[in-house]
Amino acid sequence: MRVKLWRETEAVLFTLPALIPLLIFWLGPLGYIVYLSFTDWDFMSPDKLFVGLDNYSYLLTNSEFYRSLKVTLLFGLGSVVPTIVGGLALALLMNSKIKSSGLFRTLLFSPWVTPTVAVSIAWSWIFEPEVGLANLLLGWVGISPIGWLRDANWALVAVLIVTLWKSIGWSMVFYLVALRNLPSDLLEAASIDGAGSWDKFRSITLPLISPTTFFLSIILTIQSLQAYDQINVMTQGGPAGSTRTLLYMYYQSAFESFNVGEASSIAVVIILICVLLSGVSFLLGRRLVHY
Amino acid sequence: MNMTTFTNQTRKDNSREEVQKGKVPRTGKGFATAIRYLLLALISLTMAFPFYWMVISGFKTNDEIWQFPPTFWPETFRWNNYVDAWQSAPFARYILNSTGVAAAICLIQVINSSMMAYALTHMRFRMKGVLTGLILVGYMIPSTAVYLPSYLVLSELKLLDSYTGLIVSNCVSVFSIFLIRQAFMQVSHELVEAGQLDGASHFRILWTIMTPLVRSSFAVMVLITFIDQYNNYFWPMLITKDPNLQLVSAGLRSFFVEGGAYGLAWPQIMAASAFTIAPLLILFLFTQKTIMQSVNITAGVNKN
Repeated sequence: MRVKLWRETEAVLFTLPALIPLLIFWLGPLGYIVYLSFTDWDFMSPDKLFVGLDNYSYLLTNSEFYRSLKVTLLFGLGSVVPTIVGGLALALLMNSKIKSSGLFRTLLFSPWVTPTVAVSIAWSWIFEPEVGLANLLLGWVGISPIGWLRDANWALVAVLIVTLWKSIGWSMVFYLVALRNLPSDLLEAASIDGAGSWDKFRSITLPLISPTTFFLSIILTIQSLQAYDQINVMTQGGPAGSTRTLLYMYYQSAFESFNVGEASSIAVVIILICVLLSGVSFLLGRRLVHY
Repeated sequence: MNMTTFTNQTRKDNSREEVQKGKVPRTGKGFATAIRYLLLALISLTMAFPFYWMVISGFKTNDEIWQFPPTFWPETFRWNNYVDAWQSAPFARYILNSTGVAAAICLIQVINSSMMAYALTHMRFRMKGVLTGLILVGYMIPSTAVYLPSYLVLSELKLLDSYTGLIVSNCVSVFSIFLIRQAFMQVSHELVEAGQLDGASHFRILWTIMTPLVRSSFAVMVLITFIDQYNNYFWPMLITKDPNLQLVSAGLRSFFVEGGAYGLAWPQIMAASAFTIAPLLILFLFTQKTIMQSVNITAGVNKN
């Protein structure tokens, strides 16, 4: 009995160094923010007035909220889908035996390692409307200059280009590993049976790498919900809210307008979206992914 | 599979292909390969171009940088831009702050992640299932969403504007626990039992048997954590107001916005961006095999 008790205690002692900070900086705040979303607090006043669901009903009748929700959705789709498709395409290009693939891999992967703030600053110069490189390139193919970060129609596209540039090499490396792990005898057998490359790709490669696609889509979706640095540097949510994602709106209402209650309710919505997506992906994963 | 077997396999495949080529000469294949190279070279250069642009613009004079069409090679190299930029803000201090804070976080994470991962994989206790579930959920919920309450907690603890606050609030990572747990799961439990028969404590088994066995996973974890923390921007910017405590991303951003630099001193801004990313690019060049290995391990995490 005493041995058993010691065993339990020892295990708990082993988990404490990680568990205590997790409770203080993650689980605790998670509960705290749900509570704050039911209050009308402004950072200053000593009391937090309980207002029930007011913050949520305000949010659901606020057109700014729906606009941010739309931007979040567009940003998510616009970053996740091209990163996955592009990463796979690059990996397929690299997969057959080529020389200096190490060099290509290094060049393609390096954006992922560098600080988003620094590269976003460089990119904002590339997108400069008057003398920027982006408009020079457009001029070469006969397209008239675009205002990029100053144009509400194009700012999100510019931010998406930078996001894609940062993450495409990263997803490529994931696919490279998956492709090298494909059973070559299966592909050879299919070739002998007369299957073309497209057939082989569709009915063998694609299903076999589906765990990687699945993993990347979850991680990239969560990353897109967290995107902040490049938006902060390049557009600060503007122009006219065209790049203001839910996370950015949350940040602005908390730390610029000091609307803690409203900010918290936005955060709860973001968390709910994550829970929902995780649930859906869990169900989908069991059905569609071939392990 | 690690990187060495990775390259070995490629080499083997190469030779096999050469044998096949010798038997059946096909001209179409050579053409396709050339196209492939061309495409890859083009894409890689495009991807690397923003780095080139950053470095090269840092050398231009203010007049030249405002020219249209832009020049791809500076008329004169103004090395002074780099010196000016380095001296106009305490960049040495920022880089030192980032490096120090990131190193401290790595060290603490090695300790608490390995202990937690060890308990989850090789110890039996009641809360094990709950804890594993908690960490799985933690992986799914973005930490940025709880920055506001975390800020309030940190302010209650009187840790805002301090190195301690920066380090303590980042000292645990669900991702690191995941990575180490994955490595420990592959170590046979019999090793632990053998150690216990010899009278070794769990603590001793962890540090003298387990940790050395999975040191490549630790290398991956430390590198990824270091890069993440060095680049960290949003959270450190929220919790530190004192310019002396700023990490390099926040410092660069202040230089970008303040001191009349916004839109005026672009060559200096580009120079500053260039030396901000330089330490990381150098680190990456030396450790890229280990960093890319993280892909193998994280991809494995998903399968459990």
